[in-house]
Amino acid sequence: MPFPPAIARALAQAGLPEEERLRLAGLHFQDAGHGYDAFGMHPDFVALGSLIAGPLYDHYFRVQSTGHEHIPQHGPAILVANHSGNIPIDGMMIWLDVLRHTNPPRVARAVADHFVPSLPFIGTLFARNGMVGGSRGNARALLESGELLMIFPEGTPGIVKPWSERYKLRPFRVGFVEMAIRHSAPVVPCAVVGAEEQMPQLTTSHRLGKPFGIPEVPIPAVPIPLPVRYHLHWGPPIPLDRETTPDQADDSAIVHQAAARIQDAVQGLVDKGLKQRRGIFK
Amino acid sequence: MKRPVNVMVTGADAPVGERLVRDLLDDSRVDQVLAVPWKEAGHLPKDDRLTVIPVDLSSSRRVHELLFGKARDLDIDIIAHTQLHRTARDESAQVHRYNVEAVRSLLSLSERHPSVRRLVMRSDAAVYQIQRDLPVLIAEHHPLNMTGSAPQWIRDRVEADVTACTRMGMTPLQIVVLRTAEVLAPGTGSQLYDYLESAICLRPAGFDPMLNLLTIQDCAAAIQKAVHNDAQGVFNIPGVDTLPLTAAIRAWGRIGIPFASSLLSPLYHLRSRITGGDFRYGMNRRRFHYSGVLDGTRAREVLSYVPCHPIEWPTD
Repeated sequence: MPFPPAIARALAQAGLPEEERLRLAGLHFQDAGHGYDAFGMHPDFVALGSLIAGPLYDHYFRVQSTGHEHIPQHGPAILVANHSGNIPIDGMMIWLDVLRHTNPPRVARAVADHFVPSLPFIGTLFARNGMVGGSRGNARALLESGELLMIFPEGTPGIVKPWSERYKLRPFRVGFVEMAIRHSAPVVPCAVVGAEEQMPQLTTSHRLGKPFGIPEVPIPAVPIPLPVRYHLHWGPPIPLDRETTPDQADDSAIVHQAAARIQDAVQGLVDKGLKQRRGIFK
Repeated sequence: MKRPVNVMVTGADAPVGERLVRDLLDDSRVDQVLAVPWKEAGHLPKDDRLTVIPVDLSSSRRVHELLFGKARDLDIDIIAHTQLHRTARDESAQVHRYNVEAVRSLLSLSERHPSVRRLVMRSDAAVYQIQRDLPVLIAEHHPLNMTGSAPQWIRDRVEADVTACTRMGMTPLQIVVLRTAEVLAPGTGSQLYDYLESAICLRPAGFDPMLNLLTIQDCAAAIQKAVHNDAQGVFNIPGVDTLPLTAAIRAWGRIGIPFASSLLSPLYHLRSRITGGDFRYGMNRRRFHYSGVLDGTRAREVLSYVPCHPIEWPTD
């Protein structure tokens, strides 16, 4: 990072209310020796991230969160959401929602596409706030140590959906289901409503993303995200941990069935959220 | 109760080998220690239980004479092979013989040796591939760096490691390969140590990967635990210190300056030409971008190895 944790801590101390600072001091965190965990997360940067994302969450996107009582307060779990909006603000809003609605606070460890760690500055900033690269080994290590994973199983095709296909989920990848079954982790579905309209897309470019290994770079119609209202709808956990045994992670049929079921659960929450909302900005 | 063992230590003139010899002499479970430095005894202590024989292990004839000479006379049970060429800028057939052919000779001779039953080989975390789509936590089954364009320093380490691994379970000889994290100390061949020798450390802008570093004490302790264990296989040996590159630069009291990655290789090449430094940016490019931390779970569970000596950072 361009600045050490002490500066992040000083900024967080200056900007966050004392009550929130004290709460974040109890963050669920496994120190690997120098204040960082093995993946590079640091509590002071999490506090700074909370300070920066807070005004976006509270005032710009005016996030309304329902069903957050379903977020597990301890133990391994996989949070699964739809992905949209051309830039991953949905991930940031879920990250803060989880941080605020867990006690002691937990960090949703975003499992990002392979290209994210190779993005200068962004990759490091995200890692300090808990992101890990999307490899099986990273996910396994985090689940084994009882962490919360945040996964967008649509991947990049989900976030770069054209306007005409908003809120129609792309097919879910199935690796996360295999992980959930193998590590006896419940899956908690989450619908993000609002993000699809934040940056209407003109087109996408393969060429622009090539230097960073990004499959597609969206070209939005607006320079900054619109102040749409975000609605996060959490659903009850899908207890794969109780319904399956770890050895069934190798059964392709079971894995695909479970993935389809989880996709249906997220789509159902999205559809319900769309019916409930009164407008893009309301 | 087990009878005391007799141990031969190669690379005894290097810091890790020397420390291991001292630790073994303090160990009541060890009777005789045969220290094999490359050329000179160095700073090895005087002890009745210690025999020092300088041998150039790059010659298979010398290895044969050593194993079927003094090692047989001393009834050596276990070989702790810690020898690795330390200078990355040296590239030659002689260096290859020193790094790889020595392992091959030790393996084939130990397999038919009358007393040697176990070979503990120190390998290096540099054998692992580090890239953006691979796990940060490196387990023993992590892909190895088989890149053809890798420098000899890495290719030799990978070849020596794989040479030992391919013999596991093929003969009664017990083979253990310890892939140790980088030992941040002078004289160990540490690339990072040489990098941190500069008052100003240039690093790729926008990246701050996690590193894991080991001390000489913990490295020697891990080898000692492997000497006394009956388990075979490959084990990662991490150190206490897991931290980002920028934190290591700060803790070493240096100034880190972010720089365009594409310019770092020629700049450090120039530095090497001018100052004679050993750090090669090209060799470290990947790990200066992407995190790679050894997962020591297997060593903890099987060898009871837990690192306990943190690095003494100059700014502490």
